[in-house]
Formats: sequence, C-alpha cells, structure tokens
Amino acid sequence: MKKSKFLLIVTILVYFFIFAPLVLIALTSFTTESYIGFPPVGFSLKWYAKVFATKSFMDAFRLSAVVSLAATALALLVGIPGAYALSRYNFRGKQFIKDLFFSPNMVPQVVMGFSLFVFIIVALKLNVRIALLIGLAVSVVTYAFRIVGASIDSLDFAIEEAGMSLGATRATVFFRIVLPNISSGIVSAFLLAFINAFNNVPLTIFLSGPGVVTLPVAMMNYIEYNYDPTVSALSVLMMLMSVLIMAVSEKLVRAGGRAG
Amino acid sequence: MKKRRIWALLLVPGLALIVLFLVVPILRVILPSFAPEGRLSLSLYKDFLTDSFYLGILGRTVRVSLITCLICIVLGLPVSYYISRMQAGRKGVMIALATFPLLTNTVVRAFAWIVILGQEGIINKLMMSVGLISEPLRMLFTEGAIVVGSVYLFLPIMLTSLVSVMENIGEEVQEAALSLGANRFVSFMRIVVPLSMPGIIVGSVLVFTGTASAYSTPLMLGGNRNMMLSTLVYQQAMLLNNWDAASVISALMIVISYAVVGVLNGLSSKINKTEVTQ
Amino acid sequence: MAYIELRDIDVSYDGRKKVLDKLALDVEEGQLVSLLGPSGCGKTTTLRVLGGFIQPNAGNVFVNGREYTNTPIHKRNFGIVFQSYALFPHMTVSDNIAFGLKMRHLSKSETEKKVRAILETVDLAEFAKRYPRELSGGQRQRVALARALVVGPELLLLDEPLSNLDAKLRLKMRVEIRELQQKTGITSVFVTHDQEECFSISDKVAVMNGGVIEQYDSPETIYTRPKTEFVARFVGFENFFDLRREGGGYCFRGIRFASALPEAAGERERKGAIRPEDIVILRDETPEGNVIEGTVAVRTYLGKTYQYKVRTPFGDLTAAGGATPPLAPGDQVRLYLPAEKLVVL
Repeated sequence: MKKSKFLLIVTILVYFFIFAPLVLIALTSFTTESYIGFPPVGFSLKWYAKVFATKSFMDAFRLSAVVSLAATALALLVGIPGAYALSRYNFRGKQFIKDLFFSPNMVPQVVMGFSLFVFIIVALKLNVRIALLIGLAVSVVTYAFRIVGASIDSLDFAIEEAGMSLGATRATVFFRIVLPNISSGIVSAFLLAFINAFNNVPLTIFLSGPGVVTLPVAMMNYIEYNYDPTVSALSVLMMLMSVLIMAVSEKLVRAGGRAG
Repeated sequence: MKKRRIWALLLVPGLALIVLFLVVPILRVILPSFAPEGRLSLSLYKDFLTDSFYLGILGRTVRVSLITCLICIVLGLPVSYYISRMQAGRKGVMIALATFPLLTNTVVRAFAWIVILGQEGIINKLMMSVGLISEPLRMLFTEGAIVVGSVYLFLPIMLTSLVSVMENIGEEVQEAALSLGANRFVSFMRIVVPLSMPGIIVGSVLVFTGTASAYSTPLMLGGNRNMMLSTLVYQQAMLLNNWDAASVISALMIVISYAVVGVLNGLSSKINKTEVTQ
Repeated sequence: MAYIELRDIDVSYDGRKKVLDKLALDVEEGQLVSLLGPSGCGKTTTLRVLGGFIQPNAGNVFVNGREYTNTPIHKRNFGIVFQSYALFPHMTVSDNIAFGLKMRHLSKSETEKKVRAILETVDLAEFAKRYPRELSGGQRQRVALARALVVGPELLLLDEPLSNLDAKLRLKMRVEIRELQQKTGITSVFVTHDQEECFSISDKVAVMNGGVIEQYDSPETIYTRPKTEFVARFVGFENFFDLRREGGGYCFRGIRFASALPEAAGERERKGAIRPEDIVILRDETPEGNVIEGTVAVRTYLGKTYQYKVRTPFGDLTAAGGATPPLAPGDQVRLYLPAEKLVVL
C-alpha cells in the first residue's frame, strides 16, 4: 500500500530530534574556543587532551570501570544459576520468587540508593566501594535474569537429557553443555549490564564519597562549575565507548551463534 | 542425598543478594516511617501530604511524568507505525538507531539540552542573532525543560514497545477497514491504535515510572527550583539529613511505581491482552 | 459493456517481470465468476487490482459503467472477504458488521436494523455480542460475509475464503456462499486453487496461468473441452500425444483419428489428449479408427479400478480400466479413444 508522505516526514523529524542533540555535542567538542558554541570555531582536539589530563575524570573512569565490571560479574554469578533454576524447574511459589527477582525494576533507583546508603555504609559501616559494588550488582541483576533466562528457555532441554544419558552429572551438563550454548546470551547480558552499571547515576550519587566518585557523577559535578567543551569531549568519549561495546557485543554474539 | 533440593541452591545466591541488599534495606528505611517515636502512626505522612511545598513537588512529578508519557505516545504512534511497515533490513537499522541513545549516559543526554536550551545555548543564540528576541529566553530550569529532557530519554523505549506490537497487526485488517469505507486516518485511529493498546500500555508504564524516578535529568534541567521526588529524596537525605522525610518520600515513590503498574495492568486485562511483567 | 470489465491490465512489481499481462475479463451482472489457477498465476493479483489494493501499470477497471482505475479503496463500494477473514479482533460481531455502515454515517437505529437483519440471514443472531476469537472458523467466515454484504456493495470479491476451513466445513460453506450470492444477486469474483470447489459453484471459470487467462468458460466447457494443454492438465487430462490435421480428421503414424469436439484454432501440428478413465480397453470390438495398440508395462491397483501404463508408439499412455479379468504386464492391448472424449489442442 502506498506509504504516506506525512508519516515519512514525521519519522524524519523525530529521528532528527533524537540524534541532533548528540551530534551537536560532538561538534562542539572540536572547537578551538574556550566556550561551548555552535558552529564550532576551528578544529582542535585539545579538549580531548584536557579530558585525559583531568585527574578527577581519570580517577572516576578507573573507579567506574572497575566497579561496574565487578558488579556485572557478581550479577551474572548470581543471575545465571538463578535463571537456570527458574527456567528448568517448577515449584510452589515460583511466581513469587520470579516477582522478587525482577523487583529491582520496580523500585526507583534513588530509593535503592538511599536505602543502601543507610544500610551498608551507615549501619554495616562497610567501605563505600563495596557498597557501590553491591548496589550496582542489585540494580543490574535483572538483566542477567531476563536475558540469560531467555537464552536458557530457548535451549532445548533434550540436549541436557542427552548429556545425562551419556553419563554426565547435572553439574557437568551445566558447565559443558548448557553454558557454551547460552554464551551469546551471557555476553549480551554482560555488556548490557555493564553499560547500565557504568552509566548509573541515581544509585551512585548516594554511594559516593571523597575520592569515590563515578564518572557520570564526576561529570555532573564538573558541569555545575564549569561550562566548557571539556564536557563535550568527555560526552563524545563516553558515547564512543558505548558504541564500541555494542559493536563488540554484536560481533561476539554473531560468532557465538555460528559456533553454537 | 536429597536430590530434589540440590537445585534450590541455585536460587540461594540470587535470593540472598536481593533479600539482603534490596528488601531488607528498603524495609529498614520505610517501616520506621510508619512508627515515628515508637508508636504506629501516619503522622509523618500527614505532615508530608499537608505541606504545600512537598505537595507541589509530588504534583510536579506526576504532572511531568504524565505529560512526558502523552507526548511519547503522540510522537511514538505514527513513527512506530511507519517503522513497523518497513522491510526487515531497514526496519532493524531504524530500531537500532532509535535505541542507540539508550546506551548513552543520562548526564550526557541532559547536557545536550543544556547546550541547546541554555541562556548561552544554541536556540537563544540563533534567535538573538536573527533578531527574533532581544534578551535570551529562560528555557532551562523550567518544568518544560524537564519534560523535553524526559521525552528525549524515554521516547526510544516507547518506540520499541509500539513497534513490536504493531508488527503483529496485519495489513488485511486495515485493508478490510478501507474496503468498508474508512480512509487511512480513520483506519489508523479505529483499528491500528486500539489493537496497539498492549504496546501503548507497556510503553506508558516504562515511560511514566522512568520519568518519575529519573534523577539526573530533573536535576540538571530543572534545578533546585523545580524539584521532583527523586531530587527531593537526595536533598533531604544527603544535604539536610532529614531521613524521616527521605523515608516518607521513598515509600511514596514505591507506592506510585506499583500503583502505576497495577492500574495499567488492570486496564490491559480489561482489554483481555497480556499482562505487563517487569 | 459488461457489469465488471477489466481491460488490458498490466501489473509488474519490479518493472521487469509482468505479473499480469494485458489481462481482460468481463463479468455479467449477477454472475459468480471464479479465478482458478496454481499459486503465482496472478489470480489474487487480479482480485486485488479490482479491489483497488494494487494500481495497475496499465489498463482500466470498469464496474457498472463507471471507471474505478484510480479510485482509492475507501471510495469504492466493493465488498471483500479475505482469506483470513480480517475481522476486527477488538470489536464484537455486531460492531464488526456495523463498521461499514458507520463509515457511511447511517443513523444508529438504521444501523441496528440492518445488522440484525443480516445476522438473521447468516444465522448468527445469537452471536451478536461475541468477539471473533470466541467463534469457530465457519462462524467467522459468515461474519466476514455479513460485514461485506450489509453495506450493499456493487460487487463481492472473495480471496480464497474457504482455504482455512477443514474439508467438511469447506463443502458446507461453499454451498452457503453460492446460495447467498444467488439470493442477493450480487456479482461476485471468487479466487481459489481448488478445482472442485470452483466448478461446483461458479457460473463461469477463468483458468489463469502466468498472468494470463488461458480459458474463460462455463465449468462444463472447461472440463470437457479444454482449449490449451495447461488447462487440460489442470482439469485432469493425462495422455498427450502428437497429431497432425489431415483431411477431415487427424492422423499420426498412419492411424486415423476423429474427434467429435469442436476444434480449437491452431496450425497443422496438434496435440491429442484424453482422460485415463475415458480410454476404452477393447476386447473383441473393432471400431473404425481412434485405436492405438500397445503393451501393458505397469499395472497399479487403486482399489476401485486398475490403472495401466501402456507402452505405445505414441508414448506411454495411462488407462484406467475396470475390466475383468484384469490385464497383466506384458499383455498386448488395444486402446480405443472415443471421438467424443478425444480433445484436440
């Protein structure tokens, strides 16, 4: 049927709305002037250099990367067996447990942040970094449940039964048969969880301290007092990181699919 | 060895993490708010809900979330329809493009609007240079700015919700409507939109709850003069050390979250479609 | 001018291959005409051109004297029954049926009256408030028909409306459709790939192949006097062999043949065709001409009859014989092709 010109125009406008702001920031990051303006004046990479030279950003990046990695690993460690149990077994109260596992999605992140601050840092008197690790793990664990769970659901149980009939124990079947076949789901879950942990703000502002600041928070703090293209450059770098991660994820998922 | 129970161990880590570090902390924070000074009472809630300052913030949160949701629906319906009718390859590209911003940091996305809406921002500079205005307009640090930023944040989510539902609405039903005398617009409004309800509901839940709990967007685009519940929690808890208020707000935010899901689930089961599960 | 007239319709999707090639079709008022053919022959495309869902690259569409070639779908007044029925899942049966009336801005009371009447006609009165998902296949079909007919359309287009039903229901519904069509007198075009279904209810059949209509005749004519090899094969002819026109009849390899059926136009080189069940296996009779001699190669038992593959100088012919005693492979046999059953293409 004929495509409506009207719909095409609306779609173009909406996509423009979605992308123009990001492109704008990218362009302002190359200016030679010391204020954020459009169009950019000249072409310079000095603001990118400044990002790498700013200690607060680099420290924050290191912290974000390490904590997010660790939190994601923890989330997967907890989530994969949980997803397996939910997928393969039926038991009384299953729906309740399922709701529980997905409840982090229902709770606003600021509430989680505040509660964990009171519990882990004030009550348990644990290190801020540990609080951050645990908090981020809880907030991204649903990615593990949902994505890995979907992978396991689509895996034919018959191949596990085949493994068992050939003499493998349940544990062996899990590690040698199930895991390799859900590898693309695990990779997907890992990367999505990592990006979300890295980008998190509402939870992490509660779980910060002197010297313990994640990159998004550091960026917010910087913007409060400085309005210069360093932020633009940092934005571009963060966007590139996301693109890179998703591109790698696509490659890995496709390769895993071919091998699996 | 009791074989039956071994697999239950698989659930233990997950349960431990969530119970210990989600359920317990939240209960610890919320339950005391129902018993200030040791006795069961709703006095804290009464104080909160009768304070015009707090009520204003609650009202703003609901208002902004609702408006954002409506805008996302209005913009999302035609665009999702167009995308759902595309060929498989190009459709995938369009969806990937629409969801790419979801991977970017909320701070970056809010910053983009600061650059656009600020007093020295793109729009103001443009309008002044063309002579439309003599003084920069104040667009930032308004409720409208929060709405714009929130729509920017959540439109991709509404798009993906709608596209997946619209893909399943066949052409034949619309052809039938046309053959019976409905033009394209009537067919869209009376056939496609009602049949897209499940997607509209799922999208609305995500957009509404997302906007109501977002932090960096209201903070950066609304500032202290336009607080929402999330920025209020931070202010009360970390800057003013008013944990009582923070607890009350936390409880209210959870109630709002579950209420929205509950109401919309109720709506959707009235339409006999599948439930919204998180 | 006929009630429905398609003239010189060309349709091609990618500019190279023509899906419909100078297609022409005339349908008289009140007739039920079927488009029959294998998938890909263009029958659905023809229907969709009529309905306005496809714009032809060339040609014209006329209905009841008016040209509709460029009229948008919603401005035509043609009733359509889709293969999947395309009922609106979010509306009740009566709302589905009332939709077309709503589009024509009929008053509420008028609408109710008409909906009730047609529900009576299709025997679905007690299902008015149900939803499509609560109905069986046959019931949904009747709702689709009712919805299309209630607005009093100029014609009715049916796109394989019975293919989603089981065999028994298909038989029942095709009779109902025909009865409804005859009662209302609405001109109808019916698309199907099922030969028996089409023959049993149509006034005329258009057999289509590769975007053209190979033959457009009454079902009886098509069944007994196919005009082309494709049509003949389609309706069950199996034995094809070469013939040459000579004198008042035909001849090949010295054997004379006569055919009582009117000859289709063509050159000297022709093809003869006959159905396996029309071949007579001769015992003692010796008719004049139309006899082919051969040897039985394979005998297949079909339950009711035996089927023989006979090797002849004309090629392998298949003959069905209820002859007792049955023949055995290796037997010499004489096959008689009665003149009134021998078709010359």
